[in-house]
Amino acid sequence: MSKKVLIVDDDPDVRLFNSTVVEESGYTPVEAANGEEGLKMLKQESPDLVVLDVLMPKQSGIRLYRVLKTDKALKGIPVIILSGVAKRTFLRSQKALTEFGDQPVPEPESYLEKPVEPEELAREMRKFLE
Amino acid sequence: MEIKKLLFVTRFDKLRFDALQSLLDLKKAALNHVVFLNVIERDKVAMRRGKGYEKSAEIRLREKANIRFIDWAETLFEQGMEVGVYIVVGSFASQVIQAAEKESVDLIVLSPDKKGRFEQLYSGSDITEIVHRSATPVLVYKYLSRKGPLAENPFEKPLLATNWSSASRRAIDYLKSLKAVIREVDVVHVASEKDLKGTSAMAIQKTRKENRSKLEDLCDDLEDNGILARPHVYIGDTVEEIDKAARECQSSMIFAGSPRKSLWTDRWGSSIGKALAERSVFPILLIPPKEE
Repeated sequence: MSKKVLIVDDDPDVRLFNSTVVEESGYTPVEAANGEEGLKMLKQESPDLVVLDVLMPKQSGIRLYRVLKTDKALKGIPVIILSGVAKRTFLRSQKALTEFGDQPVPEPESYLEKPVEPEELAREMRKFLE
Repeated sequence: MEIKKLLFVTRFDKLRFDALQSLLDLKKAALNHVVFLNVIERDKVAMRRGKGYEKSAEIRLREKANIRFIDWAETLFEQGMEVGVYIVVGSFASQVIQAAEKESVDLIVLSPDKKGRFEQLYSGSDITEIVHRSATPVLVYKYLSRKGPLAENPFEKPLLATNWSSASRRAIDYLKSLKAVIREVDVVHVASEKDLKGTSAMAIQKTRKENRSKLEDLCDDLEDNGILARPHVYIGDTVEEIDKAARECQSSMIFAGSPRKSLWTDRWGSSIGKALAERSVFPILLIPPKEE
């Protein structure tokens, strides 16, 4: 059975693009349109990799990442952040949340800024799935 | 009734990021989540003869909004706040109501109506429709000048306009929940000419005394809740007098209860809220009564 990649992004065009790259790379895509849905799918689908956007309705990727990396059962799943939000901002926001009393979380396994070339995304995925 | 999550509705021209920054004092009163909404109105991407639906125009407008929101969101994320974004095509009022419901926000912030008086005659005011259909308080944000916000913190010294209705009572509860950001409040009741009982000086003064006494009780209650409060009785046209009171008290904004549905046409109905939103220079917070 091929490995499963969860794509969490509110933009349907981006989800379609990412899903196509995932399929072309020989993996199975599953999709979620926001952080809340993403968390549900994480528990339901047990994916091998997550491609996560940051700025989304309902729950941002920053919060979902934090939930994922502090959950015993989920924290081992590698995460590629794919967002228009800069990596520096992502790291600073995680630091701010830690300072406000939340648990510290590690840096994401990979961080790509949008827009991304299909080959670049495929290459990053292969790093964690092969 | 805390403000934990607010919906910031912007067309970018009338409501900018500095307006939101002036509201960030609300973090002291529990604010930790901001949701941005930009509504691309249908006429901007409408079908044109020979062109069809302008998908490319929609993409351009979406991406322009997205670039702005990413920049704003980065500032908020770095402060440890949660941020969400909606960029949607559709009717302004409906999209605002839908986003407010989906996200269960505690406050909607928007700019005064873009529609002119003539357009409002046949399609109505967006603000009136939003206040009418939503149970969420609506802050109609105003700038004093093009240079910047009216006040550093609009919640610092509000004017509470009350007429003792259920919507007014909810406005009072709402105000109490914001005591962490409110320094002082002026409470005003506007008596109309027709409220004056009789024509003698004593009868007229009696009306003032009755209202003043109720206001003093209210101010005592607010002070017991840790908010410094001063009572004022004004007389005359409700909208003009509320605006005058706000100027004379050097208020930072106006709080007013705003009835919905069956109460819509009474004297504190749409006309007062709408008129204040349109005519006053002050930001106005319209608070609907609880949903039944």
